[in-house]
Order: sequence, then C-alpha cells, then structure tokens
Amino acid sequence: MSKCRYCDFNSYAWTGQELDRYVRALLREAELRAEALHPQTVFIGGGTPTFLPADLLAELLVELSRITGFRSTAHEVTIEANPESFDEPRAQAAAQGGVNRVSLGVQSLRPEVLRAYDRVHSGERALEALARARELFTRFSADLIFAFPGQDPASWEADLRAVLASKPGHVSCYELSYEPGTALTRLRNAGRWKAEDSDLCEELYLRTGKILAEHVYERYETSNFARPGERCLHNLAAWRNLHYVGVGAGAASWHGGARRKNIERPEAYQAAVESGIDPVGECERPDANTALFDHLMMGLRLVGEGVSRARVRAATGLDPVDHFANQWQAMREDGWVEWDAHYLRTTARGALLLDSVLTRLLPGEPV
Amino acid sequence: MSRRFPPERIRNFSIIAHIDHGKSTLADRFLEVTGAVDTRKKQDQMLDSMDLERERGITIKAAAVSLTHTIRGEEYLLNLIDTPGHVDFAYEVEKSLQACEGALLLIDAAQGIQAQTVANAMLAMEQDMEVVPVFNKMDLPHARPEEIKDELENTLLLERDSALACSAKTGEGIDGILEAVVDRMPAPEGSPDKPLRALIFDAKYDEYRGIIVYLRMIDGTLKKGDWVHMVGADTDYEAIEIGKFMPKPVPHEELSVGEAGYLISNIKQLEDVRVGDTITIMRGERAAALEGYREAQPMVWCGIYPTNSGDFENLRSALKALKLNDSAIVFDPESSDALGFGFRCGFLGLLHMEIVQERLERESGLDIVQTAPTVPYEVQMNDGSTLVIHSPGELPDPTQWSEIREPIVTVHIIVPTDSIGVIMKLCTDRRGIFLRQEHLSATRVMLTWDMPLSEIIYDFYDKLKSGTKGYGTMNFEEPRFDAANLVKLRILVNSKEADELSVICHNDSCQRRGRAVLQKLQKEIPRHQFQIPLQAAVGGKIVARENIRALSKNVTAKCYGGDITRKRKLLEKQKEGKKRMKSIGNVEVPQKAFLAVLSTDE
Repeated sequence: MSKCRYCDFNSYAWTGQELDRYVRALLREAELRAEALHPQTVFIGGGTPTFLPADLLAELLVELSRITGFRSTAHEVTIEANPESFDEPRAQAAAQGGVNRVSLGVQSLRPEVLRAYDRVHSGERALEALARARELFTRFSADLIFAFPGQDPASWEADLRAVLASKPGHVSCYELSYEPGTALTRLRNAGRWKAEDSDLCEELYLRTGKILAEHVYERYETSNFARPGERCLHNLAAWRNLHYVGVGAGAASWHGGARRKNIERPEAYQAAVESGIDPVGECERPDANTALFDHLMMGLRLVGEGVSRARVRAATGLDPVDHFANQWQAMREDGWVEWDAHYLRTTARGALLLDSVLTRLLPGEPV
Repeated sequence: MSRRFPPERIRNFSIIAHIDHGKSTLADRFLEVTGAVDTRKKQDQMLDSMDLERERGITIKAAAVSLTHTIRGEEYLLNLIDTPGHVDFAYEVEKSLQACEGALLLIDAAQGIQAQTVANAMLAMEQDMEVVPVFNKMDLPHARPEEIKDELENTLLLERDSALACSAKTGEGIDGILEAVVDRMPAPEGSPDKPLRALIFDAKYDEYRGIIVYLRMIDGTLKKGDWVHMVGADTDYEAIEIGKFMPKPVPHEELSVGEAGYLISNIKQLEDVRVGDTITIMRGERAAALEGYREAQPMVWCGIYPTNSGDFENLRSALKALKLNDSAIVFDPESSDALGFGFRCGFLGLLHMEIVQERLERESGLDIVQTAPTVPYEVQMNDGSTLVIHSPGELPDPTQWSEIREPIVTVHIIVPTDSIGVIMKLCTDRRGIFLRQEHLSATRVMLTWDMPLSEIIYDFYDKLKSGTKGYGTMNFEEPRFDAANLVKLRILVNSKEADELSVICHNDSCQRRGRAVLQKLQKEIPRHQFQIPLQAAVGGKIVARENIRALSKNVTAKCYGGDITRKRKLLEKQKEGKKRMKSIGNVEVPQKAFLAVLSTDE
C-alpha cells in the first residue's frame, strides 16, 4: 500500500507488530484522556483505519467502547474505509463493534485518474465496496474528488451518477486540492501536473450541486451532500465548532478551551503514551477573537445553516455580526452574505468565495 | 614600512580585463609574490572586499594596494589600482585609469579578446597609458595564444610580441609581469617641490573610519595633520590620517610624488567628496585643478518604494547609506498614487541597479518595490527649453513639446562568425542601425551598431548570450541624444491610468509593446470580485486591450478535524500577501506587476 498523491494526512508504513503496538498506545491515550467521555458521535478515521486486521479492529472497538462508553451514548459511529481494504471480515468486525456508518474513499471510478493519484483500487472494487457497505450498514457515504487535470465535466458527471446508483445517503465531493508537502503539489510545482483553472472548478462545483439536488441531496456544507436525515453528525459538530477529543498520532482535539494536536510521528507518540505522558504536540488556547474567527471559518461552511449568533455569543462573548459590522455590511452589498437576528450565512455566491469572505475579516486593510 | 620611494622607484598600474578573465586572481598572486599577504591567511580574491562582490564574482568598487617588490636588487613601490570589470562601469574604470601610468591588459588565453577587452584597452590608450598585454590561463589545454596575438594586432594594433604569458592560477609567469611593470611602464612624473596636488580617484565609506578618500599624489608632499583644500568642492579638511593600503590600511606620516594612498578626515558624507577632484594645500600656494574627470551620468532610472509606506524614512536612510560608498547613485523623492512615497533613483546601468537593489534589501532589511527601469529622455519644449525626464510620468502633454530625444549608444559586439545572422536580427529588431563589421580572426567578428539605449537595458545582454551560446560579448560607449518618433504608452487598469506602468516607446512598436505589458499584467494581477479591463493607450487611442475575469470559486474544499489552526494560519498568510499589494484605483496589484513593462515575450 502506498500513500495517495493528494494526501497530506499523517501517514506511515507499518508492519503487523507495529500496528499492534500502535493500537495499544492509542487505547492507553484514550484511557488517559477520554475515560467515560460518553461521546455522542465517534469517528474512526484520519486515513484508512480499515487496514487494521479484522481482529485488531474488533479489539480496538471493544476496548474503546469499554473506556469511553460510546456504545451506550453515540448515535453515530463512523469508520473511514478504502475500497481495497474494506473486505468482508473487516466490515463484519466494524459492524459488530458498534460502527453504524461507513465513509468510503471512492475518489474516482476512472482507472487513469486512480492511477494518477497512486490509488491502488479500481473502479469495480469501489462499486463492490459500496454494495458491501449498503448490505451491512444502515448509513454510508462516498467520498469523491473532482477537478482532476483535464477532467471532462461529462466524465465526472458519469462517475458521480454511477456512485449515486449505489444509493449512498451521503456524498462528499472535494475539489482536488494541492496541500503543501504532497506528491501532487511537488509535481505541480515542478510543472509536471497542470492544475485546472478556477473557472472549470467552479463549473464542476455548480454542476455537482445540480446533479445531487436532482437526486434530493442537499449541499449542507461546501463539499458535503446528504439526503434528509443523513448528515454526518460528527463533522457537523466540528463545523459548529463544538468540542471533540481526538486520540492517536497527530489527532486533533478541541476541548477544555484548547485546540491541540498530538505528536505526529507514531514512534514518538507511542513512546510518550507508553511512559504515561500526554502525547500533546501543539496546543493553543484561542482568545475570544480567534475563537470568533474559528466559529466563522467553520460555521460559514454550513451553506444553508450558517453561524448561530446565539451559540457564538455564548461561546465567545462576541456577536459575529456586530463584531464585524462594517465588513459584513460591505459584503452584503457585494451579495456575499446575509443575516437575520439568529443566523449569519453566505449566499450561494458567497459560499463559492468563502476564503475571500474570511480574508476580509482578518485585520490589516480598510474594508 | 613607511619608507620613502623616489618617483623613479614607483609604478602606478592597473589590470584591465573582460569579466572573468582572471583579474582578481592575478591581483591575489601579486599580493602573495610581493609578500603583502601571508599565503596561508589569504582569503581568495583579497581585493573584492564586499560579500556581494565575492558572491557575484565581480568587483563593484575600485580598491588600491601598495606593494613593494625587489627587481634586480632595487626595491620598487608598485601601486595596483584595481578597476571594476563590468559593462556598466566604464566610468569607474576610467576614474581608476587616470591614477595610473600603465595598464596590464589581461586576456583569457582560451577566450581571446572580448568586447570589454577592446573597450578597456581603448580607454587606456586614449589616456596615453602604456598597455602591456598579458595572456592568462595559459595552463588551459585549449589556450590559443597565437590566434589571440592575431586578434591583438588586428583589433588593438598592439604588437604581437608585446604580450606576456601567465597562469594566475598556477603562479607561472607572475614575476615576469612585475618586471614588465617596472621596465615598460613609465614612472610617475611630478615634482616634490611644487605645491601639493593630488587626484581623488575613489572614495569609500567605512563604518568605523568614516569617509576614506583614495588619492594619487601628483606633485608635492602631503603630511599628516596638513589642512587640505578640495578644489572643485571648495571645502577644507584636516588630514587626520594618511596612509597606504598594504593591503590593510597602514598609517604613514607623509605621502609624496607618485604615491597612491588614502586620506581620512572628518568628512561627513561621501557626497562631499567628488571623485576626480583635486586636493591641494589650504594655506599658501594652491595648485590648479587637474583635468579630465567628469560626473557619472546615470543612464538607467527607476522608482524604488518601500513595501510598507511607513518605511519611507528608513528607505531614505538606507539609500543615503548606500550613497556613502557608491556616489554614482542618484535619488530624489517622488510619489505615486499606487506606490505612495518613494524615490526616483538613477544608476550607471542595469547591473548597477540590480546591485543597489540587492544591497538595499540585504543591508537594510527593507522590502522594496521597484518600477520598470527607463532611460533619461530629452524633451524639446515649445518655449525653446530642454527638459530632461527620468520617468515616463514626467513627460508633459504632447501639445507642449516638439521633439523627444533618446540616448543612442554605439555598441561593439564580438560574436563567433556563425551567429552573425542571429545577432544582426536581434539588433535590427531593437531599432539598431548597422555601422560596420570587422573580422578579428577567422572565427570571430566585431559588429558595431548604433542602438537606442532603451532597447538594450532590458534583456539585450541575455538575448545576446543565448543567441551566441554564451560566446557573445558587448560593450557600449557614452550615449548621445537623437530625436526619435517616441510616444508615451499609457496603461489603464480598470479605467484608471497607472503612471507607474507607463512606458515611453517607439511609435511603431507601441501596439506590440502594449499587448505584451497587458498580457503580463493579466498573469500577475489576481482576479478580483469584478472584471478588470486592461488597456494600453497612446494619447486617447487604445492600442491594446485585455481583461482579467472576475473571481470565481475560492473556497477550501476540505476543512475539519485538525485542520483548523492550520487553516486559520493559511488565511492569515494569504492576508499578509494581500497587505503587500499596492492599489491602482480599486485594483490590488502585486509588486512584481510593476515590472510588467519589462516583459519581452512579445
């Protein structure tokens, strides 16, 4: 197995023994930081947890439930999976361990695209995995990537329709992004990979929304679509800037007034945990202004919902509309945002330009 | 060490060469052979004192070193006056040469005579100096001394047998050169009994010592503590310290006829010293001024602005500091709608400009924005007066003038015969007028063209190099001003005229030039919320137009989990980038867009 070219996740190559040690460390951290947490949602992700052997996966879920008590409190327990590793034994292990939702990294059905991304699965395997997900889990989602260089809108549309035929309750459609440090970014910077221009990306974005709307999927976040009752509650909470605890190497948490990220390198992470030390890598305590900005940065991604003024006031003591009154006024005139007494949200145009919206809120220039 | 040498035991000489022909290495050898530096302690290329010089392998400022050397049992004082070696600096070469009686014309034995070899040799011969040709790099397997002797005879009318051979790298032939300096170059003339007369051939600012004046004694004696008078500047100073560079400054009690050395006084700024000025005694009989020196004329101008408008005064201080050791820089405050307050700066040439810009950023840590370079133009006004402008924005309304004159230079280009065609076309495309073609040898030819300076300050040299596989060299002489059918190409960004982007160009090429500028701007200016029309106009007539489309999708696709802090930082970074931008009307323009007129992918 190799790392996908677009991926900037914290990822490493492992042997079986190392996996075992890592899972122990992760559980030890959970004991340190998440005992009796009783979460409402659980997300087992950060790449490809399904490359754990089925028995180890089963053990992880049992132990995690024992520590946190999630089986009695969580409404939604999601696992991320790659089509090539989502086989029958693992799927069974996940289902028996309390997982009730699968998010499958399909990315594309086209062999040339998958090859270019260095993905090891094929389109057929992806469709098979979707069928398996449908069989064993009540809820499942498909992740797709668009704006592959040279992608013809019609071929993207065909991919999307083929995936929709498997009837996932939820679809994520991400524009291919060039993250610092990824193979793709290096290829692009070396002139060996030509990124699509933003006009085509916009066309694909809009076309995607239209097709999904025809199939009764609502765009509830920039890149996420759900049929009624199928939103991802776990991610929804993150976009609403609610708290979560993450465990594992490089895992992020937003809890107790602190945003923190664990040590990324598994070796160092494990060494810390095994010595009974909190494996914290980076930690910041956002002040009210930063917290307000985070609320906007995350919340405005929720296209229809927007940011709850009351919730932000309660969390930060600042009203998101009043605090940036001049900026919002200017952006309302540009047709980018709208608000009422309860919510602030982007317009359809503003949703497309969210980075520009947010940049205008940062200090440094007249409105 | 401070023993006295009578004039007949003194030689003042310099090394002149094309760039990279080994001048600094040869100078190092002289220092070693004469024992001026300990071989083990020497840094390579002692004479290039600035980091930047060493990095770029070129000498920016002349330096002078006094060496003592014994020949046939007699000890001589050899003053090596270093000269800079790039195309921009003919003026500085000239200054240094005026302090010498002879010059070593150093020629790479493999590369042969190059454009600057010719130019420098001419300069030296015009001043009636003794020119001794020296072939360097004789250790190279492809050294071809016989052919180069032909070139010497054909181009410079120097006798083939006058040439010496050496390898500065291996040290072979070095003693012979020093002997030739003594035997073939004349001793300085001058009288110890006449009133003090010395030539200022350079001046430097030293952080610890203040202004150091480099001087060459002509007549009389200068003693420590004397009060001296600078004739041209009409100022008086006390000679607080005098001495010679050996190669470190060594204080002396006096300097006399023929010697080269330095003077330190309480001179406040480099501008107070005029290179080429004459020093004489303050009280008593004063000597008359020496002839010959003239002010350097800046031939390339550009606007330099601080990225942060609050740094204007810091920029002024930084420019002043640079001027301390580079009196050729000229600057005056100017302002622009887009760039705020900055300076219009004049440079000897494009390389000089690049060096100054780099030094500004390196030595002062300031972020600067630079506008495209331009040459000066003479504008014949209707009222009979002549206006010299240094930026396109200064050109008055066309109804007020009758003629614009631009600087034209005679360019000597030496190329291999097989690339004549390419270079002929290049020169023709750049509005050149062909003057003549001379064969230096069977494989190399010198082409002489009259070219508008504005056509060669951008990338002509690069084009020459690429068109000749690196073998082409060029040199140009002082410009003259000739009338031409020139127009001001105005650039409008979202209907707002941007004087910072305007350019003076030939009427025939305004459309092509305008299109190139707009296409470059189209690439450099990020999309905005609105569509931005770009136009190039001459007078009221639009000659080219382009559009920058309105912003489309600009939203991060994926954002959850651990991304939050990072994502916030990315946005802050984007914002930082925006803050560095300048505004033309309501359009934000990145700094490098102001160099768009340099675009030549026409």
